[in-house]
Amino acid sequence: MPIQPLYILSALLLSIGLVIVIVKRNAIMVLMGIELMLNAANINLIAFNQKTPQTLDGQVFSLFVMIIAVCEAAIGLAIILQVYRHYKTSVPDEVTELKG
Amino acid sequence: MQGIAEKLEWIQLSLGYFLPELLLCVSVIFLLLASLFSKAKERATDAFALTFFIGAFVLSLLQYSEVSSTIPLFSGMLQLNNFSTHLKILIDLAAILTVLLSYSQKERKGEYYALIATATLGAHLLVMSSNLVMAFLALELISLPSYALAAFGFQKKSMEAALKYFLFGSVASAIMLYGMSMLYGQTLTLDFASSTFRQAIFDNQNYFLVISVCFVLVGFLFKMSSAPVHPWAPDVYEASTTPVVAFFSVVPKLAGLGILIHFIQALNLGGYSSIRWYVIISLIAILTLIIGNFAALLQKNPKRMMAYSSIAQSGFLLIGAITLNEQGIAVMLYYATAFLLANYLVFWYIAYFEEQTVVEIADYAGVGKTQPFASIMLLIGLISLTGLPPTAGFMAKLFIFSSLWTAYEDSQAIIYMMLFVVGLLNTVVSLFFYLKIPYQAFLKAESRTLTIKKSILVNLFGIIVVIMLLVLFFMPSSLMGWLNRINFAL
Repeated sequence: MPIQPLYILSALLLSIGLVIVIVKRNAIMVLMGIELMLNAANINLIAFNQKTPQTLDGQVFSLFVMIIAVCEAAIGLAIILQVYRHYKTSVPDEVTELKG
Repeated sequence: MQGIAEKLEWIQLSLGYFLPELLLCVSVIFLLLASLFSKAKERATDAFALTFFIGAFVLSLLQYSEVSSTIPLFSGMLQLNNFSTHLKILIDLAAILTVLLSYSQKERKGEYYALIATATLGAHLLVMSSNLVMAFLALELISLPSYALAAFGFQKKSMEAALKYFLFGSVASAIMLYGMSMLYGQTLTLDFASSTFRQAIFDNQNYFLVISVCFVLVGFLFKMSSAPVHPWAPDVYEASTTPVVAFFSVVPKLAGLGILIHFIQALNLGGYSSIRWYVIISLIAILTLIIGNFAALLQKNPKRMMAYSSIAQSGFLLIGAITLNEQGIAVMLYYATAFLLANYLVFWYIAYFEEQTVVEIADYAGVGKTQPFASIMLLIGLISLTGLPPTAGFMAKLFIFSSLWTAYEDSQAIIYMMLFVVGLLNTVVSLFFYLKIPYQAFLKAESRTLTIKKSILVNLFGIIVVIMLLVLFFMPSSLMGWLNRINFAL
C-alpha cells in the first residue's frame, strides 16, 4: 500500500481537529477535536514506520499515545463535570470569572 | 531471545542510577494507600511526603557526586549527566518547599501529595529523557497531575482555571506530538541523542525540519510558560492555591528548560547546523521578556503579577539556554537556583499575608509598619527577582548578561545584541512592578487592622532562604564551583 495518501490524511485530520478546537464552543466538542489531533499524529507515526519495518518505534509510540489520550480524556471530562457543577454550563466562553 | 537478554541486562545496569525516581514511584503508591487507611491524619501525610521528597533530594545529591560523564539508561531512553542531576536536585528542593508551604492549607490529603509526587517524577524523567517517546510520556506525566492540582482549590474559579489549563495544555501537547511524528518521519529514529538522528538532521536541513521543530517546541515552551504559549499562566496562578502556584512556577519550568536544552543541543550538531536555532530561541526569549514584564505592570493581584513575573523569568532562563556552552549552562543553572529560592520566598509570604485576608496588591497598604519583619522578607524576595544587590538575583543576572556578551563577542550575531538590550531594558521595567507591593506596604497608610497570626515556622524558613540568597551573592563561587563540575557534552 502506498503511504503518501496517509500523510495527506493525517495533515487533514490535524487541520480538522484544530478547526474544531478553535470554532466549537462546547468543551466536550473541543475535547473531541484534541482527540482528532492526537490521532492524526498516530497515523503519521504508523505510516512513517513503514519506511523501517525492521523496527517498531513508531507503532509502539502510537500505542503510548492512545493510552495518554484516554488518561487525558478522563481528566478532561472530570474537570468539565466540575465546571458544569459550578457554572451550569460547559461552554468555556461563558466561564469567565477570571479576566483574561 | 538475544534481544530480551540484552534488554534485561540494560534494566539491571540502569536500576542503580534510577534510585531517586524509584523512591518517587514508591512514594506515589504509598501516599495514595496511606490516604486510604488513615483518614484525617493530615500531619502524618505531611511527614510522609516530606520524608519521601527529602529522600529523593538526598539521592539526587549523591548521584551528582557519583556521575561524571553522560550515562545512557534503559537502552538509551534516558540519559543521566550532571546537568540533569542538578536540575533534579532543584526540582526535589522545590517539592520539599511545596510540602512545607502546604502546611497551612486546608485541602491536603494523601491524593494531593501523590499528585505532587507524580508531577515531580515526571519532571525527573523529562530532564533525563533522550528519546521522543520518553519526552512525550514524561511531559504528560507532569501535565496530567498539574491539571488536577490546578483544580485543588475546590472553588468556582479554580475549576475555571483548571479547564483553561487543560484545554490549552492538551492542544499544546497534541501539536507537540504531531511535530514529533514529523520529526520521526524525517529521521526514522526517536532517539534524539543517537548518531543516526544527527546524521539525518544533517542531511535534512530544510524548512520542513524547522516547522516540525517549532511544533515540538510548542509543547516544551508551554511547560515553561513562555510566550507565545503563555496565556494559561495568569488565570491558573490567580485561581489556584498558593503552594500549587509556587510548584507550577518552578518545577514544570525547570523540566521544560532541561528538555529544551537537550533537544536544541542535539539539533545544533555541535555548531555544524546550517539552520541557526539560536535565532529562533532568541526571538522567543525577546517576546517572552517583553510580554512578561510589560503585562505585569498592569496587574492588581499579586499572584497574577507573579504569573507574568514567572513568564519574564523564563525569558531570562532562555537567555542562558541560547549560548549552549558549558559556561552558559552553568550560569543558567545558577540563575535557576537563585530564581527558585527567591520565588519560593515570595510565595511563602504571599501565602502568609493571604491568611490575613490580604489578597490584592492594594490590601498590602501599611503592612510594613504593623508587620515589618514579614514585609522586609517579602521585599528581599522581590529584590532578588528584580536582580538588585545584595541578593543572589543580582549575581545571577550579572552572570547571564556577561555570558550573553561573551557569546556576542565570539559570534558577532546581531540577535545577541538585541537580546542583550531587551534584557537590560526589561530588568529596569521589572523594578516597577516588583516594587509595587513594598511601595504599598511601606509608604501607604494602613487602611484596616489585620488579625496577625504569630508564626515562627514561617519566619524561620524566611530567614534560612534569605541567608542562602545573601550567601549566593557574597560567595557566588560556592555554587559556581559546584556547577563547573558539569561536563556538558552530548
